[in-house]
Amino acid sequence: MSQGLKINDLRVSVAGNNILKGIDLTVERGRVHALMGPNGSGKSTLAFSLTGHPNYQIQSGSATLDGQDLLELAPDKRAKAGLFLSFQYPAAIPGVKVANFLYAARQSVHPGDLTPAKFRALLMEKLEALDMDPGFLGRYLNDGFSGGEKKRLEMLQLAVLAPKYAILDETDSGLDVDALRAVGDSVNGMRRSEEGKDTGFLIITHYPRILQHVKPDVVHVLIDGRIVKEGDAELAHRIEREGYDTLREEIGQLA
Amino acid sequence: MPSAVAGLNVPANFESALAALDANVLGAQERRDLLARSFELHSGRERPGRFWKIDLENLDYSALTVATAAAPVIQAPQARGLIACDLATAARQHRELFVRAFRTAMRERESKFGALASALCNTGAFVYVPADVAVDGAIEIAYNADDGALFPYTLVLLERGAQCVVVERVSGGTGAFVCGAAEVVSSENSSVTYASEQRLPENARVLFTRIARPGKDANVQWAVAELGAQLSVASVDVLVDERGVEAHINALFFPREDQHVDLVSTVEHNAGDSHSQTLVKSAATGRGQARYLGNIRIAKHAQATESALRDDALLLSKRAHIDSVPALEIAANDVKAYHGATVGALDDEQIFYMTSRGIARDDAEKMIALGFFEPVIQRFPTEALRQRLRDALEEKVSA
Ligand SMILES: Nc1ncnc2c1ncn2[C@@H]1O[C@H](COP(=O)(O)OP(=O)(O)OP(=O)(O)O)[C@@H](O)[C@H]1O
Ligand SMILES: [Mg+2]
Repeated sequence: MSQGLKINDLRVSVAGNNILKGIDLTVERGRVHALMGPNGSGKSTLAFSLTGHPNYQIQSGSATLDGQDLLELAPDKRAKAGLFLSFQYPAAIPGVKVANFLYAARQSVHPGDLTPAKFRALLMEKLEALDMDPGFLGRYLNDGFSGGEKKRLEMLQLAVLAPKYAILDETDSGLDVDALRAVGDSVNGMRRSEEGKDTGFLIITHYPRILQHVKPDVVHVLIDGRIVKEGDAELAHRIEREGYDTLREEIGQLA
Repeated sequence: MPSAVAGLNVPANFESALAALDANVLGAQERRDLLARSFELHSGRERPGRFWKIDLENLDYSALTVATAAAPVIQAPQARGLIACDLATAARQHRELFVRAFRTAMRERESKFGALASALCNTGAFVYVPADVAVDGAIEIAYNADDGALFPYTLVLLERGAQCVVVERVSGGTGAFVCGAAEVVSSENSSVTYASEQRLPENARVLFTRIARPGKDANVQWAVAELGAQLSVASVDVLVDERGVEAHINALFFPREDQHVDLVSTVEHNAGDSHSQTLVKSAATGRGQARYLGNIRIAKHAQATESALRDDALLLSKRAHIDSVPALEIAANDVKAYHGATVGALDDEQIFYMTSRGIARDDAEKMIALGFFEPVIQRFPTEALRQRLRDALEEKVSA
């Protein structure tokens, strides 16, 4: 079996527009990959295509998770295979309590591995790690949550579901300093844990800030539906200093 | 046999039944007058939905046999001076109280089906809460129509500062026909929640008229769940004739397959300084059909009234229909009135979000649909009732 979240020449269209124009990228187990790129370059499109959002039409290419063909699977099966997406804009679901939702999700992904009491204990531990009030558990899913609260709840779900591969779509955007640290601590805590030490991360971000908390092994740059450059953490800083234009020029010269 | 009342189509089986029904509750002549009145009055709701085949104005009653029916099963907590008994007993033994309340609100707004329920009343319950008594725990009233025609009348009278919760359950067999009434008459500063759980089999028919007239500074709450029956025709009214009233109407319904629901709620603000809140959540699946008409009327002199109406409808199949019609008539100028209505299918983004967490699509849809009802379920009294409603809704979503 070939390990990794492997994306090969993936082409995706949305509403008739070609957005991803041949993506090659492998997220390796236990490693942190950062994905950067200007607004509209296709980062969320990649995340949604991998998780199976119905609006995204796969034109060609492949995506496998530890050898398993992802594109064949319904979204819930992809989650069961070990894929997780922290949404840039999580949906609010009134009437569904956070605790019930988390339990249903955990049960789906890891059937029967925790008694309700053990699940409760796990929840409490993860809540504390994220500095979240247990009162959140009784609230309706993302309903009336502030932007930062939604992002923390995404992180709580990540911790509770302990996936093999996690895509974080701008989880750091709109967070205050403390929340950003909590998110960083949560990812790092997970990477140190038995359950999460092999989890591979794809962190979509616009800012090197989050990458100071969670050190990336590789930085990929996505422009106009293509991965145009890869590098180490320094690449993220360079983008912050210079913007994408100098990168575009560089690519233009190569082309 | 043609009707005794010229020009009216009163079914002969109804007329001939009157003499044998309890005369303490209503005398034969009064019943006859009310029956005539019922067939004189226009329901105003012939075919309430665009796709209805059932004409409510001309229902076929010919197969019904009307006779005195068994009293409901009544369970009441201990409370000083509380009366909770069947209606015929109340009409004899608590005559004065009975007369003070019976049909006093109902006759203010005589309606076709309210008059019919009164005229043919063949069972019922009476609840009386004395001044400043707060009944701890719900008073449960269970009607069972079996396969017959049931005309239940529940009458609730509260004195000053009295408080109670009534939970009414309506069940029956597949051949059941129920035409009932619930009337709540309350005094100053009292507080009452009246919940109704209608769970008849899906080929029964039910017509229910509910009306409350709260006293000054009183709180009255309806919580109505219309879940069963092939045809369910319901009205829920609050007559705000005194100042300082807090009135809530909460309702949910969920037609599936061939079920039809027509619910009309009305809050009439005839006195000022009052608040009303109407919250209705409905879903339909299969070929389920429904109409919800939410009336808010604020009279010219009912100043400083605050009224909110919200109704949300969820369509779970392409052939299901829910017509939602908020109707606000506001004559006063110093009022706050809000209304909002939505009709829609399950949200794809919500489904995707849940399925992306490993939850199977069917389960996700179920959770979202149940969640949709949760805000209104929360307004029903007793955890046992709320759980029964969740279970019933879950069964409907799953089917
Ligand atoms: N449902 C849709 N219908 C039409 N166009 C869409 C849809 N979803 C995405 N797009 C388009 O696809 C392109 C890529 O969008 P995407 O959300 O993937 O960008 P992004 O890189 O995540 O940007 P950002 O940094 O702003 O989050 C954009 O031009 C966007 O308008
Ligand atoms: Mg994006």
